[in-house]
Amino acid sequence: MLTRDRPTRSDRALPTFITLVVLGILLMTFHVRLEGGGVVNVLRTGTQAVISPLQRGVAYVVTPIVQAAEGLGDIAGLREENRALKAALEESQAQLIAVEDQLARLDLFEALYGLDELEGDLGRTVANVIGRPDPLDAGLIIDRGTSHGIAVGQPVIDTNGFVVGSVSSVTDGSATIVPITGSREALAVLVGSQIGSLTSQVGSPEMILTIPDAKEPVLAGTRVLTSAQSVVFPAGFPVGEVQEDATLVTSAVNTTVLPFVDIDTLRIVVVLAWPSDPGSASGQDEIQNEVTTTTLGEGTTTTGGGTTTTEGGS
Amino acid sequence: MRFRTPAIVFLILVAAVVIQTTLFGMIRLVTPDLVLLVSILLALTRIKPELVLAISFSAGLMVDLIGSSLLGLRAIVFMSAAYIALRTRERADIGRIATAFWAGVLTLIGVVLLLLLGTLFGQSTILGEHVFSRLFTVPLANMLLAALIAPSLVRLVDQDPAALRY
Repeated sequence: MLTRDRPTRSDRALPTFITLVVLGILLMTFHVRLEGGGVVNVLRTGTQAVISPLQRGVAYVVTPIVQAAEGLGDIAGLREENRALKAALEESQAQLIAVEDQLARLDLFEALYGLDELEGDLGRTVANVIGRPDPLDAGLIIDRGTSHGIAVGQPVIDTNGFVVGSVSSVTDGSATIVPITGSREALAVLVGSQIGSLTSQVGSPEMILTIPDAKEPVLAGTRVLTSAQSVVFPAGFPVGEVQEDATLVTSAVNTTVLPFVDIDTLRIVVVLAWPSDPGSASGQDEIQNEVTTTTLGEGTTTTGGGTTTTEGGS
Repeated sequence: MRFRTPAIVFLILVAAVVIQTTLFGMIRLVTPDLVLLVSILLALTRIKPELVLAISFSAGLMVDLIGSSLLGLRAIVFMSAAYIALRTRERADIGRIATAFWAGVLTLIGVVLLLLLGTLFGQSTILGEHVFSRLFTVPLANMLLAALIAPSLVRLVDQDPAALRY
């Protein structure tokens, strides 16, 4: 057996260890007390600003290689997937025709009743996912930042319009997204005509749906959409699908929802410029706790604890 | 020459962070924690133990700052893994397999500690859907990676071509 001639075990190792543990706990306390803002935010933004150009450079080289390797790995299942997609396409085309009919009728009714669309087009920033902070961190790093109009708190969807998560931190050229499956915050959702909340679970892709004042049971396969009561997401974006039938227990319904988005396979995301005032985006958690919310179409007016008005359009 | 070792260590850490957050962030099957592995392997070098602790703390802090979870969480975890590595490094000198196994066990300790602290501090981003599978795949991947890179990394940092020639 070979042993190396290293410096003898230092007596200062243990004091250093204890000092650094105390320093780490102090940092965690600062982070919790400052709620991720202040000095912590400055440090985080500074580090990300230094690292992100390197990340983008490496991602530029690595992404095509990884995608090619993944493509080769999936080649065996491609034929079967192609057949299934053709069948799905035919079904979708039939549904599209039906939806076009309904849209035509909707346009007619809107014209008859003189309805104007409250929500203009939301500002959308398409971004590439260039990596993840850590194998255990659910966050995603994207290659767009404040210079592209991205702000903390803005909602993120995928290219199909399915809900992904929200921006948790941002630098000049990059941003970190926390997916809804890794967020502590509950998401207000619409299930049929009922309003509930979605919360994430430890070690599971499924989320827990709770409808506190349920009027009717919820059936498996029901689509779950973002609610107009949400201060995190604009209304009407698909989140996922109910997995199990759930009956009324007293006046509440509890079941599980599988989000449409698979975070592991995401390569491109879309950041929505919502709400139009970035200040209200970053402070939305406080608003959620302190105020009552009244829905006005796609816009949301909040009152109490200071009045903030956000409109659906950008 | 005086600043060569710190410069090499700094470059290795930055490279580890960038590769971890980009390449290993995109591959679903291979999930090593490269920065934690480097923190552990630095215990095998001739760098002073207190400096190894400071470096691993800084490395963890860097990952904390890039990620979305609590600041200081990984700093404590990486430094604790490095501390155990310093106390047990003689066991890793036997051979390449022993080094790999040692690094894998220390990674497992690090991951468990991270999940424990993450749970205590309510870090839901760490307790995502893959938490249970990653508990095993991360140490396994680090074990394989340690077998490949440990001798080269130690030789590079110590600038000693004879280091870890089993």
